[in-house]
Amino acid sequence: MAARADSKAPSPTEPAELPVRQMIHLKTKEECRLGNETIQVWAVEMPSKHAEGILKVVKDRIEGQDAVDLQHLRRFAKPKSLPKHVLGKRDLIKEMYAIPRAWESTPLSVMQAPSTAVWEYSVPAKPRINHKPQTLYLLICGTNLISLSELHNLLLEYAPFCSSADSWAYPLEIKEVTVPRQAPTSPAQADMWTDNYWPTFYRKTNPFGAHPATIAKAEEDLSHPGYESVGVEEAMILAERAAHETQAMGYGVGPGCTIIERVDNKAEILAVAGDARHKALPSTAGMTDAQDACSGNVMGHAVMRAIGMIGRKRLRVASHPVSSKAAKAERTFENCGLDHDEKARDGFFLDLPVTPLEEEYFAQDNIKPDGYLCLRLEVFLTHEPCIMCSMALVHSRVGKVIFSERMTQTGGLTAEMVSNDTGPVGLGYGLCWRKELNWQFMCWEYAQQEEEKAGKAGKAIPVGNVDHHQATSTASANTNPDQHLALTSAPTSAPAKPTAMLSDDNANVSSFASTHV
Amino acid sequence: MAISEQTSIPSTPPITSNPTTSTTTSPPPDCHDSLMPSQFPAVPAVFGPVPNRAYHEGFMRKAIEMAELALASDETPVGCVFVHNGEVIGRGINGTNASLNGTRHAEFVGLAEIMAKHPQRILTQTDLYVTVEPCIMCASALRQYGIRAVYFGCLNDRFGGCGGVMQIHADRGVDPPYPVYGGLFREEAIMLLRRFYVQENEKGWRQAMKTAREVSLTKRLFAAPEPKPKKNRELKTEILPVTNVNPTANLTRTSTPAG
Ligand SMILES: [Zn+2]
Ligand SMILES: [Zn+2]
Repeated sequence: MAARADSKAPSPTEPAELPVRQMIHLKTKEECRLGNETIQVWAVEMPSKHAEGILKVVKDRIEGQDAVDLQHLRRFAKPKSLPKHVLGKRDLIKEMYAIPRAWESTPLSVMQAPSTAVWEYSVPAKPRINHKPQTLYLLICGTNLISLSELHNLLLEYAPFCSSADSWAYPLEIKEVTVPRQAPTSPAQADMWTDNYWPTFYRKTNPFGAHPATIAKAEEDLSHPGYESVGVEEAMILAERAAHETQAMGYGVGPGCTIIERVDNKAEILAVAGDARHKALPSTAGMTDAQDACSGNVMGHAVMRAIGMIGRKRLRVASHPVSSKAAKAERTFENCGLDHDEKARDGFFLDLPVTPLEEEYFAQDNIKPDGYLCLRLEVFLTHEPCIMCSMALVHSRVGKVIFSERMTQTGGLTAEMVSNDTGPVGLGYGLCWRKELNWQFMCWEYAQQEEEKAGKAGKAIPVGNVDHHQATSTASANTNPDQHLALTSAPTSAPAKPTAMLSDDNANVSSFASTHV
Repeated sequence: MAISEQTSIPSTPPITSNPTTSTTTSPPPDCHDSLMPSQFPAVPAVFGPVPNRAYHEGFMRKAIEMAELALASDETPVGCVFVHNGEVIGRGINGTNASLNGTRHAEFVGLAEIMAKHPQRILTQTDLYVTVEPCIMCASALRQYGIRAVYFGCLNDRFGGCGGVMQIHADRGVDPPYPVYGGLFREEAIMLLRRFYVQENEKGWRQAMKTAREVSLTKRLFAAPEPKPKKNRELKTEILPVTNVNPTANLTRTSTPAG
């Protein structure tokens, strides 16, 4: 433990040395799981004057199109707005009927379209290049809804593909195209998909998480707090100070927590807590019981302590009905024959202040009477909380969580599991936003801007690669889970490390990476 | 009312009333499925055979007794005991209403009793008996404390961390996993919860009737519409057998209700 006295949290006295940090909203579990799904669709090129007609045919004659929402994709796309690889796709019809048609080997010929009396010069392939700005590609439907030959036969019934003059200028070519299955969750993602798949709209919605406008509003409130308010930087520095103080006393291993209530852009700091896992239990008479440097009393995690302090504050300011209800619940303990050694209980739960800084905020009765748990409060953390603490935040109904350093081996909030350029990014629980649970909250990583750019570059990989990465992880977990663990314990796994921490030797950083925060 | 309802750890109302929504019949969520295929062998064990069952039922009976006491005091009926060398060293019921702290679950209350007298490492030789499967938070805490094994009554289909919703006890992680055995007095654990919900609902109903009478008297109105308890809050007594947790375990489990 003494070995951990080297500063994990950056010293609060040197804020000027902190790199500029910014909030990066975490992906939700569903965003990670479904956000990169693709679907195969049929597409066909036609003169734009026939576009609406063919669309009507498609809508009337192909069933089941409502089952899959593709509203985020343009139904019609100009050839020039499609990625080159889509334009260059093989014509599947030609492949299906692999007999070369006579005119294709004849550069120029005089033909009569079967059902018309008009003779015309026609070069089937060339008009597209020479004189046709007015074609459109129509996204027809998922390939699961209609077979290629059925679609081919259907379209051949209608202009321009039925026998007519146009049919010779625009022979039916059906392409199978890969498109994103779900709506994009950011403009950047929409742009990327437009470049790589099919013209894609960003409609300012996110089916897998908080509404983008809500996220943007929260980011604005936290990044540019009003004159008397508290922003993310100040709250985070306070969490770091709390962490530093308990660490200096030998109680903590570096994490800290600040909890804030924000109403109409006025913020109250309700609780500040540092990690205190090594504060001696009453039963051990001053000796800590740690088997190694970082375990200790799990209730001493900063999040658990801060949540406990909120509860105690609520009890303190409760109205009579609420406090008598709590007192009745307390008596139930006696009815159940449970001991009431308060000192021992407080020593275990560590939900009272242990430093002057913690005391300063705990002492203030600045909490509204009869509020519910930590409903919609803001939680600022030096580190991503462990699974226990993440679920404690869910149970407590918090509104927003912002953490500074990802804990890739123990964290419960990150939903991503894949590796990027900076290494594995987490366990994948994503407890901040799970549909299975009855409460969700917004969550941000508060990281350096440089890292943000590196992270984005790492994540901008084609869709297929994500699955590939996961498959690779599965394989390694199958054969040797320890090997996977060994990979994740590389020092690179903590992407948002303040420079002050780089003085730690690798062994220390590595062992801290496996610590529950 | 609002507090006790929302902070109650476990909630199993739909566990048997509607088989299609029962989580016991749906495959476990995929939290780690692509990374952790090895977790699944652990899941069927939740309702697998419990070695030396009668011995463990003896301690589960004590956990049920705790839950009964809690119910008698209008507290969420979840009870637990921690057992070391055949001796109960910690007991717990839900403490959220007393502490206004939504994390003060029965398991934590029991741990506090242990740690008042014993060093923390005793937990590596200690087993937990709890009437309802530990939630995700408690499942993680127990693993970090190094609990030896967990025995529980019924699944927690809202927050369960030992098979009900997630498999925190068995997932890949830095701490050693622990074994879990579910289904000990499962029906009794479920009935305790149902009795609690009916009881709470009747209280709410009586309160609503009282309020309605006052309103009608003061405002000289004719009878206000009688509030009735919701139908799904009636005490149901039939409990479907455990069908399966893992689809592959389906065949072997349907005919042998556990617990
Ligand atoms: Zn924690
Ligand atoms: Zn719990």
